[in-house]
Amino acid sequence: MQFPNAAKPPVGVLFDSAMGRIDDVLALAMLHGFEGKDQARIAAVCVSSGDLQAARFCDTLAHFYASATTGTAAMFMRFTPIGLAEGKPAAEPAMFKPATANPAYASSIKSIDDTADPGTLIRNALTAQYDQNAAVVLSGPATDLAKLLDMYGVKDWIARKVRLLAVAETGVEADAAAARKVFAGWPTPIVTVGREIGEALPFPGESVARDFASSTDHPVVDAYRAYRQMPYDAPSGAMAAVLYAVRPNDGYFKLSGSGPLRSLVLDPEQKERIVRAYIELASAKPVPRKPPHRPDEKKDDKKDEKK
Amino acid sequence: MITKKALPRRTFLRGLGTAVALPFLDAMAPALGAAKSVKPPVRMAFVYVPNGIVMQGWNPEYEGTLGELPRILKPLEPYRQDITLFGNLTHNTGRALLDGAGDHGRCCASYLTGVQPRKTVIDIKAGVSFDQIVANQVGKATRFPSLELGMEDARQAGDCDSGYSCAYTNNLAWKSETQPLPPVLDPRALFERLFGNGVAMTPAARARENLYRRSILDFVSDDTHKLETDLGPTDRRKLDEYLSSIREIERQIEKTEKDNAQIDPHMEKPYGVPADFAEHFKLMTDMMTVAFQSDLTRVITFLVTHEGTSRPYREIDIPDGHHPLTHHRNQPDLIEKVTQINSYHVRQFAAWIAKIRSIREGDGSLLDNCMIVYGAGLSDGNRHLHEDLPTLIAGRGGSHFKSGRRIVYRKETPMCNLYLAMMDRMGVHVEHFGDSTGRLDALDLT
Repeated sequence: MQFPNAAKPPVGVLFDSAMGRIDDVLALAMLHGFEGKDQARIAAVCVSSGDLQAARFCDTLAHFYASATTGTAAMFMRFTPIGLAEGKPAAEPAMFKPATANPAYASSIKSIDDTADPGTLIRNALTAQYDQNAAVVLSGPATDLAKLLDMYGVKDWIARKVRLLAVAETGVEADAAAARKVFAGWPTPIVTVGREIGEALPFPGESVARDFASSTDHPVVDAYRAYRQMPYDAPSGAMAAVLYAVRPNDGYFKLSGSGPLRSLVLDPEQKERIVRAYIELASAKPVPRKPPHRPDEKKDDKKDEKK
Repeated sequence: MITKKALPRRTFLRGLGTAVALPFLDAMAPALGAAKSVKPPVRMAFVYVPNGIVMQGWNPEYEGTLGELPRILKPLEPYRQDITLFGNLTHNTGRALLDGAGDHGRCCASYLTGVQPRKTVIDIKAGVSFDQIVANQVGKATRFPSLELGMEDARQAGDCDSGYSCAYTNNLAWKSETQPLPPVLDPRALFERLFGNGVAMTPAARARENLYRRSILDFVSDDTHKLETDLGPTDRRKLDEYLSSIREIERQIEKTEKDNAQIDPHMEKPYGVPADFAEHFKLMTDMMTVAFQSDLTRVITFLVTHEGTSRPYREIDIPDGHHPLTHHRNQPDLIEKVTQINSYHVRQFAAWIAKIRSIREGDGSLLDNCMIVYGAGLSDGNRHLHEDLPTLIAGRGGSHFKSGRRIVYRKETPMCNLYLAMMDRMGVHVEHFGDSTGRLDALDLT
C-alpha cells in the first residue's frame, strides 16, 4: 500500500560496490552525508568482492554515522545488514585493517552469517521503497546485480521501484558476462560514469586532514591513510555516480546520448562545484537519526493510546 | 513366503455416534517382516506464540551441536537431540514496508502465508498459507486435512492493530487469500470433532447428556474386544496405552466442565475451556498427539494466544498484560517478566514434546516422524523486529533432519525457505512460496 497523501521520503539508494578502491569508501561516506541531511536514505549496502573485512568496514561506517543518535531513537534504531557476495575475494585491500581493528568503532559483523545475501537484501530493500523512489549505484563488477535479475519476481520490483541505475564503470569489466547481462536486461534507465570522469574530478587528499577533523577517530580517514601513501588525490567515479543518483537535476553533470542507456558528461564549469559537494558530503559529521519513516504512525499511535 | 493379511491403516473402532481412529500398529504392516519397510507418515505442526521472545534468553552463543540451552529454552534441554534451532530466519513481509504501524497484525498474517496482508479492517486479503497447500495434497489421506487450534477466545472482525483486522492477528491458517481458518479453542469441541459424529452439542444438551454420560470407549468396546483378539502382545499394549490416553483426555474435559460450572454457570467462555493455561495447553496438545498418532490429520496449526494479546499470566504471578510488558524499553524488571512468560510457554511445549517423544512408532518415536515448529512472528517484541525470528523444529521429519543442532543462516534468509524444505518433507514440491529465494540448506542428514 502507498499512502497517496503522504510525502515521499528522500530517494532510497542501494549501493553495490567491490569496496576495492578508496573511491568506494568516499562514495559510501557521501551517502551517509546525504542521509544526515535527509536528502537520501541508504536502503542497502552490498559488497560484491566477498571481502568480509570490507563488509565489516561498511557496518562500522553505519555505526559511526549513527553514533550521534541517542535516547529512544537509538533504542529503536535498526542497522540494515550488509550484503556480502559469497566466495573468496581476489584481493583484500589493506585499507580496512586500521578501522576494523580499532576498538573505538562498533561493528556487529564477525562472520559471513552476520551479513546477508546481496540479492535477498536488495530485493527486500526494494519492497520498502515508494514507486520510482529508489536508485541503484554500482561500483565494481555487476555480479550481484546479474544474480538479482535472475531472482523470482525481482525484475518487476526493480521496474516498479527504481528510477535509475548509476554505474561507475571502473571495475565493471572484472565480470564482463555479468555486465553484459545487466546492461541488456536491467529494466530502468542506466547512466554510466566513465573512468575519465572520475579521473578528471580527483578528491583532494588535503581535505582528509582538513575537513574530517570533527572526530578524533574517523574510519574514512583511517581507510584513506591506509589505502596509499599520503598525500594523494583519489579518482572519484563512484562518488560521481552517487552524486548523480541522488541529485540528478542539480546540474552537476550533463548526459550524452538518448534512450535508456546514457553516460555522464563533465561540464568543466561545474568541476569546482562538484568537488565542493564531494567534500561537504563525505566529511559531514554524524547527526542524530530520525526514527524510521512510517507514514501513518502518528495517527495509529493515537489509536493505540485509546485502547 | 509367509504372508499375513494386514490390518487396514484406516481402521476405526466404531460405536454409537463415535469413530475412534487407531494408532500405527505392527499389524498394519502388509506382510510379516515388512514392518520395517512401512514408513509412518510425516506430520507437521506449528505452535505460535505472540509478541516476540526475549532473544537473549533464546539464542545460544554458539552454533552446531546443542549443549547447554539458554534460560527460555532450558525446559527443552532433555530433548535437545530432537530439536533443531534456527538463526536469522526473516519474514520481510511482516515488516512495515510502506504500510506504517501494525507489526502484530502483519507478522501473524504473514507468518505462514509469506505475503504482506492488505492493511484493512474490511476487505481482508493475505494469501493461502503453506500448511493449507500441504493439507490440500496430503490431507486426502486423513480424516481431517488439517486442524486449526488455539487457546484464546478472539474476535474475527474489527480493528486489532493500527488498522489491521482482527482476522490477521487471530488466525494462522488461510484457506484462500480472503478466508482465514479460525482456530478451535474448546477442548470439548475438539474432542467431539476428533471422535464424534460431527454434530456439535450445545452446553445445555451436553449437560443433559452428562447425566447418562459414559466414555466414548464404552461405545466402541465391542469393536475393541474384537480387534484385541487379532493383535499381538506389543500391539495390545500399544492399543491399551492409546485408549487410556483418550480416556484421560475425556476425564480432564469432564473435570474442566464440572469446575467451570461451579465457577460461573453463565460464563461466556466455551464450556470446556479450562481456566488454567497449563491445563488448557495440555488438553489441546494431548489431543494433537492423538490426532497425529491415529493419523486423523498430518497438519496442525496451534495459535497459543493471539498475536498482540494482552493476556495476563496470573498462573505465574504476572498480572500485567503480555503485550504491554513486551514494550519494556529495556527496563530489566519488565524484561524479566516477559522472559518468565516466554519460559512458561516453552515449559508447556516441552511437556508436549516429552509426551510425543515417548510414543513408539515404527522404528523410532512419533516425534521422529514429526516436524513441530515452535516460534513467533516477531523476535524482539520491544522493537518489533521481523528478523532472526525465534524458530525451532522438534522432530526429524521422518528421520530425515539431522537434529540436535543450531544452524545460523545468513541474515535476511527468508522464513519461506524453511517452508519449502518442509513442504519437500511432506511430499509437496513447489518451486516458490511467498518470498522464498530457495530451499533452506544444511537441514538434511545427507
